[in-house]
Amino acid sequence: MYINACSTISHQNSFQNENWINELTLLDENNELITPNYKEFIAPTALRRMSKIIRMGLTCAKDCVKQSGIENPDAIIVGTALGCLADTEKFLNNALTLKGLIPPTAFIQSTHNTIAGQISLELKNHNYNVTHTQNSLSFEHALIDAILCLNEDDSNILVGAVDEEIPLLGELTGQFGLDSIKNKLTSSASFFMLSNNKTETSKAKLVDSYTVGLNTSDSKKIINEFLERNNTSLADVDLVLSNSYGTVSDSEIKNLFDSIEVIPVEQHTGYHLTTAAFGMHLATEMINQKSGNQILIYNTLNNSNIGLTLLQSLEA
Amino acid sequence: MEDLKEKLKEQIIDRLNLEDVNVTDFSDDMPLFGGGLGLDSIDALELIVLLENDYGIELANPEEGKEIFDTINSLADYIQKNRK
Repeated sequence: MYINACSTISHQNSFQNENWINELTLLDENNELITPNYKEFIAPTALRRMSKIIRMGLTCAKDCVKQSGIENPDAIIVGTALGCLADTEKFLNNALTLKGLIPPTAFIQSTHNTIAGQISLELKNHNYNVTHTQNSLSFEHALIDAILCLNEDDSNILVGAVDEEIPLLGELTGQFGLDSIKNKLTSSASFFMLSNNKTETSKAKLVDSYTVGLNTSDSKKIINEFLERNNTSLADVDLVLSNSYGTVSDSEIKNLFDSIEVIPVEQHTGYHLTTAAFGMHLATEMINQKSGNQILIYNTLNNSNIGLTLLQSLEA
Repeated sequence: MEDLKEKLKEQIIDRLNLEDVNVTDFSDDMPLFGGGLGLDSIDALELIVLLENDYGIELANPEEGKEIFDTINSLADYIQKNRK
């Protein structure tokens, strides 16, 4: 299946910038989310009540539709680990502090499937619409769903992932003693138009995605079996994009991938639980710019979960 | 009555996050929904909450909503007659 459009809003200059992978910077605590002027993509009447996560997701989704020319995808599938945090916090604060009726907007928009729902409303799309929330594997689960749809009768699937940082999340991670990530929390959205049809906008092939939950005892075996089932091996992998954020040591990475170049995605995107989607956009552009024929995205943001996604060049 | 209309406009702009709208942008007889101010069904729910929390008016019959929420004039008139 082909990746016919990609769009990312992140702490890199990634949105509608074809050269963004050549402008990557290493993030520090001062990096801000780089956002477009949302009014160019969303009507003011709808935009006024949308939180950051909805704005990011909807804008990337619409950008993918525009790039691909597919105005009515056969499915809209979204992965999000923590969902609409800002609206959830607002709703809970209202419930705790206001007397009388609670204003409904924040509650309505606090559910995880708000993003996919808003995309559906905006595109006037009545097809399959699902949100996957599976901790650090939310994006991979969305991808697997998209692959299953494409293996049946669907032709074009809009799939992506989005998570947002809010100040309260930093406070909570500090209270839980997770100081290593407290100041690295970030937001991003990455969406893709996947298709069974190769078009002039095709950039790379999505070969497969696979997850293992609550069992990482033999990562090497899991990786090898995943590659074998796709008729390839580590010897043919040009690059690994890892999302580990310290859950896997450098020596373990070396043991897993030997001499293959490994780029830690988190150094460019910060910490949130769907950075694998950012990794997939990065891998797509790298393949499109001939920086590799086969790239593996290795996700162990939660050290009891493994997510594996394999991309290949159009020629492979 | 004029003070109430001005206050209602300010409350609507604030509660409904009408970022680019000023009090002077909508007249007392401009339709709030549809082609006028462009409010929608979620806004209607917010207005019902505003009526109850700020003016002590419980909208018992939803059928009346369309008439009450037609314009600032109709909303102010309804509040004037029913506020507690």
